[in-house]
Amino acid sequence: MKKALALLFVFQVIFMSLMAQTLPPVDKSPMDMSYYPANYPVLKIQDKATEALAARVVYSRPQKAGRTIYGGLVKYGEIWRLGANEATEIEFFKPVKIDGKKVAKGRYTLYAIAYESSWTFILNKDTDTWGAFKYDQKKDVLRVSVPVEKTTEPVESMSMGFEKTNTGFKLVIAWDTVKAGLPISL
Amino acid sequence: MRLTAAVVFFIFTLFSCSDGKLEETKDPVSSVSKDSAPANRSERPAANPYNGVDVSPMDMVYYPVDYPKLKMAHTLTTPPLARVIYSRPHLQGRHIFHEVLKYDEAWRLGANEATELTLFKDAMVQDKKIKAGRYSLYCIPHTDTWTIAINSNIDTWGLEPDTARDVARFIVPVVKTRNSLEYFTMIFEKKDPEALLLMAWDDVEVRLPFRF
Repeated sequence: MKKALALLFVFQVIFMSLMAQTLPPVDKSPMDMSYYPANYPVLKIQDKATEALAARVVYSRPQKAGRTIYGGLVKYGEIWRLGANEATEIEFFKPVKIDGKKVAKGRYTLYAIAYESSWTFILNKDTDTWGAFKYDQKKDVLRVSVPVEKTTEPVESMSMGFEKTNTGFKLVIAWDTVKAGLPISL
Repeated sequence: MRLTAAVVFFIFTLFSCSDGKLEETKDPVSSVSKDSAPANRSERPAANPYNGVDVSPMDMVYYPVDYPKLKMAHTLTTPPLARVIYSRPHLQGRHIFHEVLKYDEAWRLGANEATELTLFKDAMVQDKKIKAGRYSLYCIPHTDTWTIAINSNIDTWGLEPDTARDVARFIVPVVKTRNSLEYFTMIFEKKDPEALLLMAWDDVEVRLPFRF
């Protein structure tokens, strides 16, 4: 009997040590990245990249999960991290122009303020941070407002991707029933 | 009878332990990230016309450990030292060897895009000096050791590393674990004066030491 109890104790210690593992679990809002040119890494290994690498966004993808997004989870008129977890990062691999203003190559944090009919995108110099909890307006590089559009169907996981335009490209962000584009010229 | 009671007690303590652990892992996230809070998941998710969520989700780790959270909490004012961006394949019933990886064949240390290492300042990796910059990382696993390569071909898909662009190669010992890890995991561990980049999957762990 004592042996059985001792054995159980040993098993329990083993189980508890397994559970005490400190490695990070998989995120509920998984991270993703998008390049311009779109799918650049795949084009690169296929030798099909016709344009030089220009931009990359790294962001985490919250899900709608039945919630009200705009005017609910994302409050109108308030700073929004445009993702989840770490602040959303946009990197330019060459100098670009946004709203007529020169933007040097480098890494930036991208925030937004959502309104019912427009979004204000904010490019900020404070990188490698978490969310928008310590957003510092003094580190803004620029702000630009764009009108929002309706998506054809609801988007469950927040999505970001670059699309080619006549003057360069734009970063299209879609979540739930709303999408907006940040125009970038080369 | 006493045995039954002991078993019941054992199972009870086991569950209470696992509950406690779950709460513990949830807390740091929910306290800072409102928009990943659990919610009603009974609704069928709508299809994503733009960009589906990947089966091997991407993740990012910094050194100092949890740098973005420390920065947010204003407990760190120095710049970060290193960052890894990688995708996390999972076993789904397979074993790492040979059902996913093969010995002596290069592996991208992740999935999808090549795994990226950014050094924000020069570092000593094992006994070699590596300059600040962005690199790709891949490995060649063997039974008792893994070869880890730092490579200058970046922003690329991970399938076939361009070995001609290796910046340095390192040999690190394999540590076997008793438990199996479902998702491939990379994390920096602080072990003064070094930072160890842990690469763990299934019952295999390797660690690459950095000094800044």
